[in-house]
Amino acid sequence: MIPVEYNTAVVLLGTAALGLAAGSTGSLALLRGRALLSDALAHATLPGICLAFLLTGSRSHPALLLGALATGALGVVLVAALSRRGRIKEDAAIGAVLACFFGAGIALSGAIQRRSPDAAQAGLDGFLLGQPAGMLLSEALTIAGVAVATLLLVALLAKEWKLVCFDPDFAAIEGWPVRLLDLLLMLLITTTVVLALPAVGVVLAAAILIIPATAARLWVDRLVPMLILASSFGVLASVTGTLLSARFPALPTGPLIVLAAGCLFLISLLVSPRRGIVARATAERRRRRERERRRLLGTIFTEQEAAPESPVSEGALARRRVWGPGRLRAHLEDARRRGWIRWGPRGIELTDAGRQRAARIVRASRIWEQYLLSQAQIDRDLIDLDAEEIGHLLPPHLVAELERSLADRGLLPLGSEGSPA
Amino acid sequence: MSGAPPPAIEVHDLTVSYHAKPVLWDIDVEIPAGQLVGVVGPNGAGKSTLLRAILGLVRPASGWVRIDGEPRRRGRHGCGYVPQRESVDWDFPVDVLDVVLMGTYGNLGWFRRPGRRERERAMHALEQVGMQDLARRQIAELSGGQQQRVFLARALAQDAPVYLMDEPFSGVDAATEAAIFEVLRTLRAAGRTVVVVHHDLQTVEEYFDHVLLLNLRLVAAGPIRDTFTRENLLATYGGRLTLLDEAAEAVRRGSVDTTAWRPPPDGAS
Repeated sequence: MIPVEYNTAVVLLGTAALGLAAGSTGSLALLRGRALLSDALAHATLPGICLAFLLTGSRSHPALLLGALATGALGVVLVAALSRRGRIKEDAAIGAVLACFFGAGIALSGAIQRRSPDAAQAGLDGFLLGQPAGMLLSEALTIAGVAVATLLLVALLAKEWKLVCFDPDFAAIEGWPVRLLDLLLMLLITTTVVLALPAVGVVLAAAILIIPATAARLWVDRLVPMLILASSFGVLASVTGTLLSARFPALPTGPLIVLAAGCLFLISLLVSPRRGIVARATAERRRRRERERRRLLGTIFTEQEAAPESPVSEGALARRRVWGPGRLRAHLEDARRRGWIRWGPRGIELTDAGRQRAARIVRASRIWEQYLLSQAQIDRDLIDLDAEEIGHLLPPHLVAELERSLADRGLLPLGSEGSPA
Repeated sequence: MSGAPPPAIEVHDLTVSYHAKPVLWDIDVEIPAGQLVGVVGPNGAGKSTLLRAILGLVRPASGWVRIDGEPRRRGRHGCGYVPQRESVDWDFPVDVLDVVLMGTYGNLGWFRRPGRRERERAMHALEQVGMQDLARRQIAELSGGQQQRVFLARALAQDAPVYLMDEPFSGVDAATEAAIFEVLRTLRAAGRTVVVVHHDLQTVEEYFDHVLLLNLRLVAAGPIRDTFTRENLLATYGGRLTLLDEAAEAVRRGSVDTTAWRPPPDGAS
């Protein structure tokens, strides 16, 4: 157990509350397509912070954050105005606003540093990359209060926001004030980003909204679980980053929090059971291997079909040029181990089990082909070339009809009639 | 005909334009209640825009729309809507039942969550389109035809007097097409008005009672018998109709060659 000092405990409270709010807000931002906009918003707060300092001469958080809120909101309004009615593409508008506002902020902070190097520097630099170490209890409690309010608002409006994020046109037809709901969501995003500034800074603030939400999406397929998981990831990342920074004071807290979130995302991307890279690669490899097995059986079956009296030679299979000699050998050996083929005196023979399976495979493949040929208006998504049984994919009467037309042309594999549709 | 009910939808003097380009030009039409109405015309004729203008999703340059004789209302007594399938992100984190439940939100109002009654209504709508077994399926895992049926079920859950559907038959399989048509007939039997943007001229006469022929302006509107004529279609499609004729003829003449089994395509799929 790491002994936690009072200061660290205060910072932990603040950053954990921030992660909690940012996870939920970030999920909604992501689903409404506002992830990039929240990044522009974060960068657009910098000139506001500088202007607020110039105007008030104070380094207190409330004054500076009010300034941040002002130019941040201005940036968002500007993006909306520029991209309205397709005047400028939204991503271009976001890029332009982000860069210009951030540039203005850097210029202003440079001017401030020259004028009063001692007083300004510490406070303003903290806003660039975040400096939560000096967080006061009152500030941490403010963040916690806002986080609780955020969660309440999300719980209250989950249904409405779900509808607006999924299908805004439908929401409008049903009488929901889509603009108002969008505005509320944007306000929530703005509040969260501004709140994140003292902790993770202008440059990285958007990351703690976007990354935990993106990671959560990889694990779950419904909205409420996504909100809960994203908030949990946010808290976990904040706590990890803060504790690491307390242990190694040379490392800044804000970037560590973002890095911790990045690690959670990376782990999710790798190992999430359905969308993860490992799971997908494994499934693809298994699918490919199965497909090769089916292809071999199907090929042997059709060779046999062409010349029922003579056994299939390895040479005949090699002439198909589907596999190189080494691969073919390996596949044949695999099929033999599985009891589908045996080496007869004059070549390869299908065992009874192998023949049955091969007939099923060839039948399914020919039915799909027939389906593609004969049905002009088809649901392509129903086609599954890996399926050996078609009955659960196509309506039975259609399968029967397809089989009839195959049988008419002598293409219905012998030995597959008995297999269930 | 005094005392006749007001038309389900009345569109007057409706013009929609993007910048200087008109998309719909001076549309004047009354759509009678309780009928299946097809909206037919070439690509870019403004069919979807007409639906969106009736729904209030695009702002017209001029003109007005009335539903059941009154200015358009939203929510409870508004319109049921089946948008084009491509209009939403099907990777959104919701399942089939979640989407259908969205059709009940209008009645629920602010802050209230769907309860047992809403769930029953949504399940009933899913049964009508034959999707009750897939209620808990993630929407990304549906086929195109199934996605279309989910949208139809959501509209059924709205329980509206007037339905507007944007190409519900587009790119769906035969089973889905039959299921959708069955739903349309049920709606008509219940006295609802259904307006359907449709692209397949072959099935217009079979599916609809009433037709709107549209190409920027309204070429003709009325009962199928009087309106869906060769002259009107020529006026709607211009020279392109002959192209269609030729294509249909080619398909009729064409033969399908026999093809033997080939090994399934290589892994990259």
